[in-house]
Amino acid sequence: MKLKKYLTPVVVLICVGLAALAYFAYNLVFYDYGAGASSFSLSDQVVDTPLFSMQFLWAMTPFLIIIALSILCILLCLWLRKRIIKKDPVMGRFVSERTGLSGTAAVTGQRKFGFMTIRWLIMIGSFLALIYGGKLLGQWYSNLTIPIFACPYNQQQLIGSSCYYLAHLSSLFALAWQDIAIFFVSLMVSLVVLGRLICGFLCPMGLLQDLAHAMRQGLKIEGLSLNEKLYSRLKPIKWTMLLLFLGMSFVGGNFCNFCPALTVSPAFAGFRVSVFLSGFMMILVLVSGFFKRRFFCNICPLGYLMGLFHRISLFKIKKDCQSCTECGACYEACPMGIKEIYTEREKTDVTTADCIMCGACIDKCPENNALSMSFGGIKFYRASRKTFMSGHRKTEKKLIRRIRKREKNEPEQSRKH
Amino acid sequence: MNLNNQENIKKNSRPPKKEPSPMEVRQRERFVGKSARVAAKYLRRLTELKGAPQAMKPFFQVLEDIHVNMKNVEQPTDTKIVGTYCVMVPQELIYAAGAQPVKLCSGSYSAFAIGDDLVPRDACPLVKSVMGFQAMGVMPVYEDCSLMVVPITCDCKKKMAGMLAERVPTYSLHVPTSKSDDDDMEQVVSEFYQLIPALEAVTGQAITCDSLARSIDGMGFAQYQMSQFAAYKKHVPALIQGTHAMALMNAFSYMPVDRFSEQLHRLNQELGRRQKEKQFVSMDKQPRIMVTGSPIIFPNIKIPLLIEEMGGILVGDETCMGERALYDPTVVVDQSFDGLLRSLANRYTRPCTCPTFVDNSQRIYRIKQMIADHQVQGVVYHVLRGCLVYDFEYQTLEEELGQLGIPVIRVESDYNEEDIEQLRIRIEAFIELIKLKDLAIKKQKQEKANE
Repeated sequence: MKLKKYLTPVVVLICVGLAALAYFAYNLVFYDYGAGASSFSLSDQVVDTPLFSMQFLWAMTPFLIIIALSILCILLCLWLRKRIIKKDPVMGRFVSERTGLSGTAAVTGQRKFGFMTIRWLIMIGSFLALIYGGKLLGQWYSNLTIPIFACPYNQQQLIGSSCYYLAHLSSLFALAWQDIAIFFVSLMVSLVVLGRLICGFLCPMGLLQDLAHAMRQGLKIEGLSLNEKLYSRLKPIKWTMLLLFLGMSFVGGNFCNFCPALTVSPAFAGFRVSVFLSGFMMILVLVSGFFKRRFFCNICPLGYLMGLFHRISLFKIKKDCQSCTECGACYEACPMGIKEIYTEREKTDVTTADCIMCGACIDKCPENNALSMSFGGIKFYRASRKTFMSGHRKTEKKLIRRIRKREKNEPEQSRKH
Repeated sequence: MNLNNQENIKKNSRPPKKEPSPMEVRQRERFVGKSARVAAKYLRRLTELKGAPQAMKPFFQVLEDIHVNMKNVEQPTDTKIVGTYCVMVPQELIYAAGAQPVKLCSGSYSAFAIGDDLVPRDACPLVKSVMGFQAMGVMPVYEDCSLMVVPITCDCKKKMAGMLAERVPTYSLHVPTSKSDDDDMEQVVSEFYQLIPALEAVTGQAITCDSLARSIDGMGFAQYQMSQFAAYKKHVPALIQGTHAMALMNAFSYMPVDRFSEQLHRLNQELGRRQKEKQFVSMDKQPRIMVTGSPIIFPNIKIPLLIEEMGGILVGDETCMGERALYDPTVVVDQSFDGLLRSLANRYTRPCTCPTFVDNSQRIYRIKQMIADHQVQGVVYHVLRGCLVYDFEYQTLEEELGQLGIPVIRVESDYNEEDIEQLRIRIEAFIELIKLKDLAIKKQKQEKANE
């Protein structure tokens, strides 16, 4: 009860704090390579760094520090939670179940392989492609862009990441009008053809967060379940992020020093980039992504900007409102907390600006055809009870074997009697 | 320990048993004889109904053992039994604690007659029947319960929980009045957390993450078999009589879930064979009817029996003693202990179409979907006398189905056989109406084809 009272001031404080931090991001050094000849800034050309050489490992240093600090933070959070639960009069007795790592058995009755496996493969593929693709494709000067966080693509290549120019609108407007036109046209094409599918399937930041989430699932550690009220509190933070993303360049700031994505792809690609506030941000992203699936996606400015165009995007989540039983499984599974997906009873199109097209809702939907993903009106992935419960097929086979065995034994026993 | 629980469960509240007087002994004997006779009669009618699959026999046997032979649920001797009511009690938690859940909602006519004197006249017959059994103290399923979990779903159940608590350890499980807010769902989760110590106290066995995961899989397998069964039930012409399907779900109340899934698996195999050999229990022209409304509990199965004896075919039911009990699967999103409990809270509350919830429009959608899936031609709306919550929802359903052109009939009944002839006439007329309507539609189609 007390918490609720403080929620609004806390949200306001976070927003103001974020803005202040972002503005002075340059002064908050997370890891500095020094101004020696060995450091490469992003505006340099793609360097032929062999994988796993000393230079590559050196470039990875800030990222490895971030991982180590994140693990430390997660352990601290777990310890704190254990203490809080222990003192709770109701939950105190569940402390060993809720905070221990004793559990080994997992619910196996649900589908294991399927659309989600494909999604993981695509995510890993796109992670590699976005980071090393530049090397394979070579360099051309062009302004074709896709809206995604992939810093190595901000070289002068065939395809670029539009996040750079969106965060530096002032320098975009300084370009020639043809370049601006190409930029916007290619941006619109990728918004129409892919939309926020990029978030669910292609974004390297998404892969990292999903990995953190998968790790928590594997360890069976309890997560943080947000309810609709907490989700609605995230909205002001999201808007602040968007304002910072678009407006920083006009007041003399640089969003890249604040952007957590800067610590991921350049490091993997072998660029030695000095990391400022973004390093601290990345720790936050990983820790929050560990406890709450895709937390950063909820406040991601670029993703939200893409989501605003969901009406013209070709990928859509469709719903058959009659066959829905309002079991809420989709809402529980949704990393973005979209409640409309199960309460909607009229529209067939349930795509919202927040939807990252990860397909988790369809994966967990037990009703035939109640939810489906479509591309330009063609439904290519539908919910189905049979595949949802396909994990039980193994149990059924075991049962059939057991029955046969018993039937074989029975006649022998009756003869003995 | 939670303070609430100690308040909720009145331990040792059972009064010391006095020696029954000879009069009471005789009364009990007469009661046992009477209720066994009624149950045997309806069981006979069930088995005589044409087209009972061979694999139904174990289910009939269970009903016979409980209601005619007055036996307890088949289980290892040291297993504790936990009685449950309604469909909102998480059976997975009871299995995880190592106990055996039994559904105690009753449909007995003889117990109803006893209970009539114990509870107010306008209380629903289900509660009267339960209290009747409780007062007579002859049914082992009621007597051997270590704990009764009563969800507070309506006023009758609430007062019943109070009366039960005077005789047996009873836990009243709070059910929210609405489920649209996330806060309501969080309340259900915390209710389940509070139920756990009560169940653990019964068996002395802790509910762990592992045991819970196993029991969710156990129930999940039964639901998987049930989903296959539901798929066979959608077949036109029908492969199994609906009354038999309802008897099957009634038998589920008294069966360990593993045994139930195994028998259901055999039944599914037999239905699969029937489908291949084109061995149907109905003809093309038989009116396809669906039952919804108040629970239909053995031996009060006069309405489904009448429908099928009068020439209809019962293709589906939307009642809480029917398919609803095993229809919605537990969808586990998070594998942690808290995640499992959340998924259970979701499964038992959100998709539940019980009219106890303030906004229950989802029931209309569910019925509409069932009508489409099973090609239903008419709906029988069953209302037990005194079951107000179901009666309230009749009007909206009638309006909605009127727009679809599906005839609905409201049938009110009580736990006795006095109204059986009246019901027979009404249901017969309803079936004739559907047949005529069907004919008229066919004629129209033919005329159009001729033109």
